[in-house]
Amino acid sequence: MSYALVVAEVRRGVFEERNLDSFGLSSLLGKEIVLVVPDGPYSFNERLADTIVKVKAGEEVFLNPLNLVDIIEQVMNGRGKPDCIVFTHSSSGMESAPYVAGTFGLPVVTDVSAINKDEGVFYKSYYSDKIFGEFKCTGQGPWVLTVRSGSFKDAAAEKADAAKVEYIEGVAASDKRVFLEYVEEEKTEIDITKAEFLLSVGRGVGNKDEIPTYEELAGMLKATLSGSRPVIDKMWLPKPRQVGTSGKTVKPKVYLAMGISGAFQHIAGMKDSDCIIAINKDAGAPIFQYAHFGVIADMHKVRDKLKDMLKS
Amino acid sequence: MLEQTVSRVLTCIQCGKCTGSCPESGKTPFNIRMLVRKQQFQSAIDEAIPWYCTSCGACTLRCPRDVKPSEVIIDIRSLLVEDGQIPLAVQKALENTFTQKNPWGRSRAKRAAWTENLDFEIRHVSETAEKRLLFVCCIQAYDPRCMVIPANVARILNQGGVEFGILGEEEACCGNEIRRIGEAGLVEELQEENKGNLQEYGVKEIIALSPHCMNALKKEYGDMGIKVSHYTEVVWDLINSGALAISKPFEKKVIYHDPCFLGKQNGIFDAPRNILGAIPGVTPLEFSRARETSLCCEGGGGRMFFEVETIYQRNAEVRVLEAIAKGADLIATACPFCVMTLEDPATEKGQVVRELSEILMEVL
Amino acid sequence: MNIVTFTKRVPVTQEEELRITGDGAAVDLSKLPFKVNDWDNYAVEEAVRIVEKVGGSVTAVAMGDAESDEVLRRAIAMGAKDGFLVRIARAIQDPFARAALISNFIKNENVPFDVIFTGVQSEDDQFGSVGGILAALLKLPYSSMVIGIDKVESDHMVIRRELEGGLQERVRISLPCILSIQSGINEPRYVSIMGIRKASKVERKVFQGNAYEAGVGAMIDTVKWVYPPRKKGAMMLSGELDEVCKNLVGILKEKGVYQ
Repeated sequence: MSYALVVAEVRRGVFEERNLDSFGLSSLLGKEIVLVVPDGPYSFNERLADTIVKVKAGEEVFLNPLNLVDIIEQVMNGRGKPDCIVFTHSSSGMESAPYVAGTFGLPVVTDVSAINKDEGVFYKSYYSDKIFGEFKCTGQGPWVLTVRSGSFKDAAAEKADAAKVEYIEGVAASDKRVFLEYVEEEKTEIDITKAEFLLSVGRGVGNKDEIPTYEELAGMLKATLSGSRPVIDKMWLPKPRQVGTSGKTVKPKVYLAMGISGAFQHIAGMKDSDCIIAINKDAGAPIFQYAHFGVIADMHKVRDKLKDMLKS
Repeated sequence: MLEQTVSRVLTCIQCGKCTGSCPESGKTPFNIRMLVRKQQFQSAIDEAIPWYCTSCGACTLRCPRDVKPSEVIIDIRSLLVEDGQIPLAVQKALENTFTQKNPWGRSRAKRAAWTENLDFEIRHVSETAEKRLLFVCCIQAYDPRCMVIPANVARILNQGGVEFGILGEEEACCGNEIRRIGEAGLVEELQEENKGNLQEYGVKEIIALSPHCMNALKKEYGDMGIKVSHYTEVVWDLINSGALAISKPFEKKVIYHDPCFLGKQNGIFDAPRNILGAIPGVTPLEFSRARETSLCCEGGGGRMFFEVETIYQRNAEVRVLEAIAKGADLIATACPFCVMTLEDPATEKGQVVRELSEILMEVL
Repeated sequence: MNIVTFTKRVPVTQEEELRITGDGAAVDLSKLPFKVNDWDNYAVEEAVRIVEKVGGSVTAVAMGDAESDEVLRRAIAMGAKDGFLVRIARAIQDPFARAALISNFIKNENVPFDVIFTGVQSEDDQFGSVGGILAALLKLPYSSMVIGIDKVESDHMVIRRELEGGLQERVRISLPCILSIQSGINEPRYVSIMGIRKASKVERKVFQGNAYEAGVGAMIDTVKWVYPPRKKGAMMLSGELDEVCKNLVGILKEKGVYQ
């Protein structure tokens, strides 16, 4: 049977939206879809899969590379090898996909953002999206893939028939890598995911001492200040203010990005904003490809000018 | 600590002249006399303290015992650098300078981007007859506010019939600030690279655009047999000799701010003033602290990359307020760091700051 | 605690316009400066900090050309005891082939370790796969996106993994194991040029990569390099700064976020 094995990502009882991209890619490849998912009361569109294999294990046992190899082995038993094993390009997919590939000796391509089905080519980002590599798998399949969030979700298609449901009764859970608990980051009053207008600053801010001047600008604009990874890494802004895959995903009415070049991880966290305005002095900054409005200028100059303007 | 510094530090009589002239002592926790004292007894120094120094050099100029307190600071910083425990912003500047040869980490390939809008071609120095090099400086190669300065000076020199060339992307940071941050190893690398190019291309003369670069090239590169001057000296000669004619008046009250590395550290007080004086219509004004006692703008010694807490009044603000009180239409200076630091509070207070070449472009 | 930590020399591309040459055959990196991969820098720092606390030693390993010695000197200057260079003639694109070669190297040379660190990914290829494949090949427990190491015991560690949305997962992992370290786990120290020069006096062992090629075959093939598809792109606001800012404020008003 020619099928794609989609490994679902479920976190804290939520069937993550980015799983849609895994369905989309599998549909584009024209494969029958076998979804493997921890058994639980998650709501998702079951029509997207041909077969759903529910594993009687908690998500924390499921999303563990050491256990996933056993689960995948069980799915393949009797069914034969799939053509591809598809993960989300996320913290869990990035952890599990290579481990699965290594265990079964399979070719792996991560962060797949486009395909050419006829030529069997996968596109993957290099150098923060400045270049893409076209890859072909030459080794024995199945291919192990992680899929960039947002790249294929529109291709996810419902099947004519309701999915067949199967169960895996038990997992040989490893005692070498054991989930202990989820840790929430400290709650602060400001929740950037609730803001309608975010002023976000990136690496271009250059210096910790510039931060208060942007806080001031945000205050004048009645915007909430957020930042990209470099700014948070340097501890110039607290972690809860981080926009991006490792921070918060935001969808404000207006996302004003100043001095943010637009690493994919950042784009993924803000690309669904209603209106994105990017200010960057590098005309080649990738963020301009996602922005609705762009200004090629020194962010500090724009800040000063805006402040002057808003004062008068 | 280096042997030399130890013996110098021991001769300190704690007279306090250094503290008296220091732009940081008094308003911040930084106390230069105290630091020298602590060095005498080799007692512990709070890691945050040495980073206040702006390397203006006033203490070293005023010291009656030649203790060179500003050099003592560099020694203290060196130890912190070797230890790896330095403010992150300074660390970033050093790492950037190592990879891209400029503290901002901008692409080395774009170092000559400022030449793009000129209506004449600037040759590589190796292709010039007189082997006269225009040394651009990192901030003026990349910062959009400062990029106009090399373009202006290039136009002025061109108009004055001075042949010159550039190193383009081969120019590396001069290392002036890097030395003052205490990263001696990196300074050596930068110097070797620049010296190698100067030698290879047979450079005979350097016109430095930034007083900081001039200082390094003149005093810290050893004897290269190359004449180093600041562009204001060259331009004044051109005006004085009649090679450059000022065609328009400039009806403004202009107050001139002495950059530390041009003025007190290298004795160039008159060339910029002479240039201003030669422009008809200019009413020259002077700060109460001018020439040797000029108040540092706090842009030197690594402070362009690392700013201390904003709770202390900035000297740039003191300068701007005085300029306004004296009725100046604009503050003129001849250093990109001074332009950047002064312009910050100036814009806020409606005062104008101009680099000398910007004024010249209006009157030539 | 013996920690082996991988470190890679990568081109600095943030500000550069990269050029594809030979009709997609190669990306021209000849004019770019190089530096240590950011994630690896965090990994080396974390390894050194652990060893400074609990004792043991850090061995930095780089796979690459002769120039990669630079990142080994850097790691030694940060506190690694040894530096191993596995020399390969040309970059291996397939992470599986890379991991297989490393696995052979570690086994053949009996490199002792309690933990192996890698960065989560490298800045150039962003595969993020070598650590996981290597763990599977060496049959070791694995965890990636490690943003905190809370506890180091002789037979296990308690770590924190970074998940999405500001959530973390605390995990107990048995030793020996492989961990891929996320950026931001610490603040890497500054490495001075003098420090690197001193580190140059520590001998780095060089191993010839082709000695570990048994069973190492690429399973994926780079067909060609292409530029990213041009998105529709932003409407660029140009003109004088004054005008641009007026337009900006206009847009904010139109979108109803500023009155």
